[in-house]
Amino acid sequence: MQVLFERSGGFAGIPLTLTIDFANLSPDEATQLNRLIEQADFFNLPATTPSAAKPDRFQYRVTIEGGDRPHTVSVGETAAPDTLKPLLNWLVESARKQK
Amino acid sequence: MLHQRLQEWIHPQKQIQRRCICCILPPQMLDNLIQYGDEKNREWALTTLRISERFRGKRRAVGNVSFAISPGQKRRTIYDAKTSTSLPGVLVRGEGDPPSADQAVNEAYDGAGATYDLFRDVYERNSVDDRGLRLDATVHYGLRYENAFWDGNQMIYGDGDGQLFNRFTLAIDVIAHELAHGVNQHEADLDYQNEPGALNESFADVFGTLVKQRSLNQTVDQADWLIGVGILTSRVQGQALRSLKAPGTAYDDRILGKDPQPSHYANRYQGTSDDGGVHINSGIANHAFYLAAMAIGGYAWEKAGRIWYFALRDILRSKSTFQDAANATILIAEQLYGSHSDEQKAVRSAWQQVGVI
Ligand SMILES: [Zn+2]
Repeated sequence: MQVLFERSGGFAGIPLTLTIDFANLSPDEATQLNRLIEQADFFNLPATTPSAAKPDRFQYRVTIEGGDRPHTVSVGETAAPDTLKPLLNWLVESARKQK
Repeated sequence: MLHQRLQEWIHPQKQIQRRCICCILPPQMLDNLIQYGDEKNREWALTTLRISERFRGKRRAVGNVSFAISPGQKRRTIYDAKTSTSLPGVLVRGEGDPPSADQAVNEAYDGAGATYDLFRDVYERNSVDDRGLRLDATVHYGLRYENAFWDGNQMIYGDGDGQLFNRFTLAIDVIAHELAHGVNQHEADLDYQNEPGALNESFADVFGTLVKQRSLNQTVDQADWLIGVGILTSRVQGQALRSLKAPGTAYDDRILGKDPQPSHYANRYQGTSDDGGVHINSGIANHAFYLAAMAIGGYAWEKAGRIWYFALRDILRSKSTFQDAANATILIAEQLYGSHSDEQKAVRSAWQQVGVI
């Protein structure tokens, strides 16, 4: 299973991207990531959330594929549900570490 | 009942108000609208009156309506979120208070002041909303938050991740950029996606760089035309976040990648990331402003900036495109400086060079 992550927008407009393959994660990391995906109820989140775009806020796109069914969620920073935020934060931190 | 002629004045409401910079309507007509018109007429008449009163530099009351415009005074308040995301945070510096030991606080305070001054001194605007809005800002927002934004009411600044991005108050044009988003919200209110969004971003960068240039007393030839100098850390290969002079050249880094901004309409981004490339395609309109300002010469905020400001205030609307911005600025240049004036030619040529017209 793979997680594809992109954060775009923000004042700088510089995208932050990350691709995670579960096969390359330590067992601890895999457990952690699975828990965050479950907590977000990711596969039942709407693909898009209509909301007026706000100046200089981030825009997130998360795709999980290779499991039962692929799913992509695109959401703005202000419209992201609270249950999804821990997953987004985890992905941002992982993307930073990768740099 | 309103007089027939009055109705004719009202119908193309926005057209009248937005097309001419200095509408001269008989004052009694506006008074009648305010007192006897319906809600829409009344609001329009009040807006028109506010604009014309501003030109005459005085205030007055009509019927039982008085204008709640606050006196033209800077009222800055800086808060500290202490790396939380709750707003506004703890008050750390109010208007007139001595400088803080925290540089981010002082930068937010001084940058808001310089922005307020440009709009007041040069464009006779009474703060972000033209009605004396308090300028509130929160620093140290979020943990390693590499961003700054205007949330509709106030400015918010993150500290950056410390690896690639420094704190966002470091650059005065970033601060002015955020306040310009506020000005846009109270004027054209350009949508924040696709072309109107790229225009929105461009106006924010334009006023951002104008505040910086004015604070440094730089002519168009002396200015660096960069946005966000100092925001990228020394580990990054890049001098700034954007360049109005040469979009696409601000940074080229192993980790961050290359500045994606086009300077020509033919190379515009048409994907969905970044709300339809608002921070990417702004390069096209940014470069048009740069070209116009360079051709006009002198201090960019005096003529080119005034043309752009009037276009944002009086003509552009939420769905406006680059083409609309070109037409608006060419029209304003004509109204301010004359048909076939050097200024108008400079503006038209600028939009032609970036492929918009
Ligand atoms: Zn912006």
